[in-house]
Amino acid sequence: MAEASTTAPLEAPREPSSRSLQSLFRSTEIDARLLGLIIAMVVIWIGFNIMSGGLFLTPRNLWNLSVQSASVAIMATGMVLIIVSRNIDLSVGSVLTLTAMTMAMLQTEWLPNLLGVPVNQPYTWAIALAIGLLLGAAIGALQGFIVAYLGVPSFIVTLGGLLVWAGFAFEEASGRTISPLDTTFQLLGGGPIGSLGETLSWVVGGLACIGIVYSLIASRRRRRRYNFPVRPMWAEATVMILGCGAVLAAVWVANSYPWPEALAAQYDKPLNTPVGIANPVLIAIGVAMVMTILATRRRFGRYVFAIGGNPEAAELGGINTRRTIMTTFIIMSVLAAVSGAVLSARLNAAVTGLGTQSELYVIAAAVIGGTSFAGGIGTIPGAVLGAVVMQSLQSGMVLLKVDSPIQDIVVGIVLVAAVGTDTALRRRSR
Amino acid sequence: MSINRKVGALVAVAAIVLTACSSSGASTKPSAAASGAAAAGCKVGVSWNNYTEERWAKWDEPAIKAALAAGGAEYLSNDAKSSAATQATNIDQLISQGAKVLIILAQDGTAIKTSVASAGSQGIPVIGYDRLIEDPKALYITFDNKGVGKMMATEMLKAVPKGNYVIIKGNKADANADFLRAGMTEAGVPADAASATGDIKIVGESYTDDWKPANAQKNMEQFLTANNNNVQAVLSENDGMAGGVIAALKAQGLQGKVPVTGQDGDQAALNNVALGNQLVDVWKDARELGKAAGEAALQLCAGTAVDKVTGTAPFTTPGKNNVSSIIIAPHPITKDNLNVVLDAGWITKDKLCAGVQAATAPAACK
Repeated sequence: MAEASTTAPLEAPREPSSRSLQSLFRSTEIDARLLGLIIAMVVIWIGFNIMSGGLFLTPRNLWNLSVQSASVAIMATGMVLIIVSRNIDLSVGSVLTLTAMTMAMLQTEWLPNLLGVPVNQPYTWAIALAIGLLLGAAIGALQGFIVAYLGVPSFIVTLGGLLVWAGFAFEEASGRTISPLDTTFQLLGGGPIGSLGETLSWVVGGLACIGIVYSLIASRRRRRRYNFPVRPMWAEATVMILGCGAVLAAVWVANSYPWPEALAAQYDKPLNTPVGIANPVLIAIGVAMVMTILATRRRFGRYVFAIGGNPEAAELGGINTRRTIMTTFIIMSVLAAVSGAVLSARLNAAVTGLGTQSELYVIAAAVIGGTSFAGGIGTIPGAVLGAVVMQSLQSGMVLLKVDSPIQDIVVGIVLVAAVGTDTALRRRSR
Repeated sequence: MSINRKVGALVAVAAIVLTACSSSGASTKPSAAASGAAAAGCKVGVSWNNYTEERWAKWDEPAIKAALAAGGAEYLSNDAKSSAATQATNIDQLISQGAKVLIILAQDGTAIKTSVASAGSQGIPVIGYDRLIEDPKALYITFDNKGVGKMMATEMLKAVPKGNYVIIKGNKADANADFLRAGMTEAGVPADAASATGDIKIVGESYTDDWKPANAQKNMEQFLTANNNNVQAVLSENDGMAGGVIAALKAQGLQGKVPVTGQDGDQAALNNVALGNQLVDVWKDARELGKAAGEAALQLCAGTAVDKVTGTAPFTTPGKNNVSSIIIAPHPITKDNLNVVLDAGWITKDKLCAGVQAATAPAACK
């Protein structure tokens, strides 16, 4: 079930034995499935660009796409760990709604009333955000406890959660729409005001680049120390250049999107001020990085994959499987709360249906990204890409004036086709 | 909208069959006192399908109670807690408690038919409240749902008689989304992009999964991208989605410059009307519905035949039943008549006028 390419953290790479193209590729250690997904995404992008008469691959649309994908991407990184350990979390949409609604109520009504201050204090939004994240953690702990320690199947626990948390969210505000939100909080949602701007975007891109180089060097050193085989230098350099190049290209695109004229006039910005990376995207990237480190470089992550690969063996091997499983649920619900903050800030409103059905998109993103329901297989970057691919399909079809019923049909077919192809390839390579 | 969407759809199905919309129902009725003498002591039973929804307790019930009290009638009620089976039992209970007229907010307009027929056989008239009951003897009291779409479009065409329109529709599985759209077409908005030949061009039109504001926001962002912001008007079918549209416009610095429609009377949306970000919010005053039902019940108590109740018009249901109906017109709320919602106590002035600049404040906020 577990394969070298996807459970990379546990496997030592093989030395290239021949000069065939395949072995050359293998020596770069680039995940073949991830590469397949990237190629599929590029094909989709180019296809939409041609069909939309060059609209799709404009900085503005790509910038939109990045922000629109962020909330699902944030949650999909957590869903990978849940599914890898052979569980499921159907409650993420409802947890998102409840935490978003709670944060909205806190910043617009409860905290101002409690402290006797007007709204838009510099600190109320931060307190609201902290409480929202804590609420997420508490919900995750409760659900995770019931799953891991009481042995109730996660499908049932989180199906119950889906109903319960949505119900609480409705009751909390009696079904009202809470809007507008705190002006500082709104910055979490992006828009040109909630973006980094040109200089900071380059700084972030540069830091990411340095991070990539550093982690590659560190990993090479580590392998040397334990006498593990290392990549040939040319492969190392290729990965470095590709990784850095992708990051800097993304920053360049974000910086090519100028402030909209009308908005620039309102904020007294000169024309063509670059927008830069949007805050939700920055958050999503940060989350994805932390989650990747957690999944591949920390003991916790290895335990999760070990449990998914073979729960009995993991348990007998001395892993505290219960605590590990409970932790995955806590992480998942905290990420749902992060997503709730981003989504409500972006909408400038908390509404009772905010997260409805997002569990389906989150699970789909994880699965399109190569996470297997059989357990033990899945990657964080894959899930993020899965989220971007799905949002590309939807945003692209709106550009082409394809209405939502057809969008649903296409996304549904792509979901099954992606997993079908994946399964077929896996079977062949066995 | 979101509260009883499914039934709203049913109501809209009914509304589109209606050829002549009578919107004068509520106002031309005789005063409650006139028919009160004969109705004194009459017991009117109200069967709610789900009383925990805020609206019924807050707006509908007090209006019904007040109308009944004015005529000296007695108010009985129970709650079916969203169960069609419980509602059947509840109706039997109301009858055994001595109800002479029933007002039913049906959980299921078809499942309720047996109970309605049984009440009819005992000579007890039934009012189908807000939701259609497929029984020729029941009196149907509802809002003019198709008229909502028409009102939105009429206001928009007044404000933007020429330009690029985007239409943000509700959930595709909800027939109400299509009936609102049909109302817009009736007001003069082209039926689709292809048939737009005049001054109005449709540059984007899409359904919105589950009426979700966040989806409306994404769709609006894409429409703005596709048209390079060359959009002059947005017809959104409800307030929640209007909020999503306004968020998308705001990110382009266009909020307040591109008018948006909505319905439901959401507080956030009314605030947007006051701020100038939303052109119109079509508001259904539930108290008018309650008052109409209470007054109709009084007349039925006095022995008036269902089709002779003041303000009724014949109506053909989707099930091909000919029923009598009272159709109440909603109110289009713009910045010029915000005092309507204030005077009604629907929203407080500080909520309505939050963030409104003194210089640009509408009359209601001064």
